[in-house]
Amino acid sequence: MCQAPRMADLPSVTLRDPAHQVSPRAVTWWRVAALLADGIPVLAAGIAYAVWSERPWWATLALLGVVVVAALHVAFMPSIRFRIHRWEVTPTAIHTRAGWITTETRIAPLSRVQTVDSHQTGLMRLFDLASLTVTTASAAGPISIVGLDAADARRLVAQLTEITGASEGDAT
Amino acid sequence: MSDAMPPEPAAAEPTPPEAAPPDPEPEGEWQRLDPRNLLLDPVRTLGQFAVPALIAFVGISSGSGGVPWWALPFIVVGAVVFGVLPWLTTTWRVTESHLQRRSGVISRRTSTAPLARIRSVDLEASLLHRVLGLAKVQIGTGVDDDRITLDAIDRARAESLRAELLARRAQAVAPTISDPDIGVTEQSRGLDTDSPRDWSITPGPHPDDAHPHDVRRPLPAAPAAPPEELARINWSWLRFAPFSLARLVVFAGVGGVLSQLGGDIPGLEPEQVTSAWERVRDIAVVVLGLVLVVGGLAIWTLVAVAGYVIQWWGLRLTRGDGSLHLTAGLFTTRSISVEERRIRGVERVEPVLMRLLRGAELSTLATGVGSGGVTTILPPSPVGVATDVADRVLGQPGVLTTALTSHGPAARRRCHTRTQRWAAVVGVPLVVGWLVWVLPGWVPLVGWLVAAALAVGAAEAAYSHLGHALTADHLVVGSGALARVRTALETDGIIGWGVRQGLWQRRLGLAHLVATTAAGAEKVVVRDVPRDRALALAHAATPGVLDEFVVVS
Repeated sequence: MCQAPRMADLPSVTLRDPAHQVSPRAVTWWRVAALLADGIPVLAAGIAYAVWSERPWWATLALLGVVVVAALHVAFMPSIRFRIHRWEVTPTAIHTRAGWITTETRIAPLSRVQTVDSHQTGLMRLFDLASLTVTTASAAGPISIVGLDAADARRLVAQLTEITGASEGDAT
Repeated sequence: MSDAMPPEPAAAEPTPPEAAPPDPEPEGEWQRLDPRNLLLDPVRTLGQFAVPALIAFVGISSGSGGVPWWALPFIVVGAVVFGVLPWLTTTWRVTESHLQRRSGVISRRTSTAPLARIRSVDLEASLLHRVLGLAKVQIGTGVDDDRITLDAIDRARAESLRAELLARRAQAVAPTISDPDIGVTEQSRGLDTDSPRDWSITPGPHPDDAHPHDVRRPLPAAPAAPPEELARINWSWLRFAPFSLARLVVFAGVGGVLSQLGGDIPGLEPEQVTSAWERVRDIAVVVLGLVLVVGGLAIWTLVAVAGYVIQWWGLRLTRGDGSLHLTAGLFTTRSISVEERRIRGVERVEPVLMRLLRGAELSTLATGVGSGGVTTILPPSPVGVATDVADRVLGQPGVLTTALTSHGPAARRRCHTRTQRWAAVVGVPLVVGWLVWVLPGWVPLVGWLVAAALAVGAAEAAYSHLGHALTADHLVVGSGALARVRTALETDGIIGWGVRQGLWQRRLGLAHLVATTAAGAEKVVVRDVPRDRALALAHAATPGVLDEFVVVS
């Protein structure tokens, strides 16, 4: 039995981007969420700074650092995220890209999909957004599309359920 | 694999009485666990309650004066009752299509496993079990956590039950050998006190029920291929035991004590060292340290060798009935079976210390077995043996030894920056120590240099382990920093792909390629591979999956 590596003849391929972007309202949602999340450490740092009477010279620097990082995060993260987050569902596969500093592209054949869930946090409901998660038999393989328009998400769940319900086998 | 076991409605189906065959040995009678549990369970219950009972006993006797001997019978009776109840209330049976187990006193619980779904049948016998001739049977159905346990039944019965279940599963998988009437031969022990209205279910008329029950054979006369032996313990492998750090946990406590002593070694202030007395004390400390180190190593060797012998005594790895069977253990014997169809790959790990002796460990990556899908099938053993067994498990020679494609200069740089970052992590506290405390200036410098030199070595090692290859059926991945890890995953078992890139990886054009799978640790990662290469690899490994998204150039 020959185990000739199938390496030399691998054609070089590139991946095209998934076709769709998430809802533009997701940018505002991400910004508000970041503001709320970053507000807590900034507030804590500010209070500590104000309370601490004999603060060393670097305390001002540290406070400034925290504030600047938080401001940059709130200012730039949402738009970078929006540029990177993309998704596409074809009759046979799902393809997503997500992240902002670390990006992750995921592809799974729909024949291996086990469950399709959508969920909305309270803040997402405010912006009429929803997230969709597709799981496979691998615990490492859930694929999420975050920040979809809620109506789109509902439509997509129905569509995915229909496609995956039709496929056979135990998907392992 | 997180969803619960599918509910089985079979048990709820009442059968008209006339449908019950007038068979003296009706298939699928509810039966109890072995009566010897009446000895086993009270002893175990006593063992569990020994400590709290003793504390209560001592507490009462010291409090009110006078030893409360009157309490003794209560404790014994309690233990016996707690031991007998499970035996009285637990029953199990094998029907035409299902294995069922009922248990519980107040809340009854019925676990049902369709025979066709049974993927592993493991036997385990503790010393107590073995004295009584019993074995614990664990039946896995593909849902990782939810296994049906029969604890305990007669050892011979357990062996034959396993053979039956595995053979029936094979039939369910390949219905060409159709004799659905291979039954459970053992009769119910006739102590069933349960009301029959819910539970005494005779299997409904089976489609193939044409031939009468009395032609039942005791065991499936499977097309008897004798089990093929893949490996057997070789006591020269004991040399690997001290180099396997798996049992190091035992030693963590000892290490803690040693570090406490180390903290008492006097500091580096020169005026202290000039004192002769101090010098003597230093020498004494050094001698003490040496004695501790040598003694520690000796004890470690003893513990490691004893652990190896206890765990792997009588190891036999065989293949038969479409499963791998592993038997081992000195006191507690384990007998594990993994369905071959469920084995999606193997992983060979050469831990850093064991590489000095060219030793390795081997595991299978399977779906639907307990303990995270990774089953260790070989103890620390020579690399050649591990590779040979891997070849035979995969059914294809040379998969693990396929020449790997390395990941190129960018990946090498990445290995170096990553390990240098660790060196910096070591260096920063030293610099802080120099700034804030009175550490002499050369300490951070030398410390950092040593850490950086070690990091260079570690990076080169990590890079040399890095690689990937694609054989006819397997994705082969090399990884590991200090240990060398070689993973082979069947491409059919890959159920999705991920390409992850951090900031620096994007700049270098590298990516982690993640192959997700239901087997083993749920994913196999090709680390720091050039992104184009990663896509080409994924595209070639699972033809069709990426088709709609790739642009072939």
